[in-house]
Amino acid sequence: MSTEYVEPPLWRRLIINRFVLVPASIVVVVLVWNAYVATHDHGVVAGRVVDMSGQPVPGATVVLWALNFTTYVEKTRATTDSAGRFVITDNDSHNIRLAAEKPGIGRSARVPVRLYFRAQDIQVREPLVLAGT
Amino acid sequence: MYRYPRWPIHLALVGVSFLMLIPFYWVLKTSVTGENIFAYPPSILPKSPHPFYYVDVWYYIPFARYFANSVAVSMIAVIANMVLNAMAGYALTRDFPAKAFVLLLFLSCMMVPFQATIIPAYLITGRLGLLDSYWGLALPQCSTIVCIFVFKASFDAVPRSLIDAARIDGLSEWRIIWKIMMPLAKGAIATNVILSFIWSWNNFLWPLIVTRSADMQTLPLGLARFLSYQEDTTGALYAFCIMVLAPGILLFLLAQNEFIRGLTSGATKG
Repeated sequence: MSTEYVEPPLWRRLIINRFVLVPASIVVVVLVWNAYVATHDHGVVAGRVVDMSGQPVPGATVVLWALNFTTYVEKTRATTDSAGRFVITDNDSHNIRLAAEKPGIGRSARVPVRLYFRAQDIQVREPLVLAGT
Repeated sequence: MYRYPRWPIHLALVGVSFLMLIPFYWVLKTSVTGENIFAYPPSILPKSPHPFYYVDVWYYIPFARYFANSVAVSMIAVIANMVLNAMAGYALTRDFPAKAFVLLLFLSCMMVPFQATIIPAYLITGRLGLLDSYWGLALPQCSTIVCIFVFKASFDAVPRSLIDAARIDGLSEWRIIWKIMMPLAKGAIATNVILSFIWSWNNFLWPLIVTRSADMQTLPLGLARFLSYQEDTTGALYAFCIMVLAPGILLFLLAQNEFIRGLTSGATKG
């Protein structure tokens, strides 16, 4: 059995080395990430509003604050449907806070929501809980 | 076979390496937690790490623009260093009148700090019409004396007979550099690439002076701008530092073997 070393062809040596493969891998990751961002940046923020007993609250007003440099400013409002769900479609920030209120039932705490990129579409897992006034 | 067991040396080296890495670990940990760095007792492991400080940095300042500027300037500096330093290094391996004086001049110039020459450098750059441009940002870093000597040391190690043979075969001096010397000087090339890249990448003073528009600023200037914008910057500041450091560390890790070989070439003879 021959163990003679055969030098790989030039094109293989030029391409299959760490100076090409590592930057190429980074480029691939960046391209995939940008493709993901481009398909998930419609500014949709969805979630639910419930009362203290966990029942959905229809007609509650949900307010979205966005970080403006150093302070949070109100950007938009939405109203929950009969199942207590809300959908905000024009968020353009990556650092927001959400709060809900309904006269007679109460208001929720401001919930910070951090996004991985601006206008990221997100379904807020934890519902906003209206508690007291 | 070694006369003494090697493990105590390796153990000591691992310990020293660990100590050296602690500051980097601390920067990385703070960048994903935002913990107060003066908190006592300090927490060794990160609590609730998250990547959102990196997101903040990306959006608070035009990071992509600064990054692109730093890449463009560093690329110019690296390529210029390769070409100019190789030519200068090769010239210094040849015999010519007043060679000792030129070597002395180079060595003495290394003692002059850049701050002392910054005004003439600025005036020359201005006369060339290169202020506020990539070429102007890279100009003073297009050749460094240390890297010239790295090339010289590497070229000195090439047997003279090889160069004579190339000359007999009809190669010009120019082709001897690129066809004979450079393929034999991979270590020096890696050293030049890494050093010129890192010096250019981290340069603060020259870009501060030569840039006028915000669009031409590089990452170190972005860091200063970022600090002036934000009050509570602990997490984001450290995230910024990691984002600035990462390309240099990556480049070093990629080329560390060649880098060390380049720095030590010419150190031993025979």
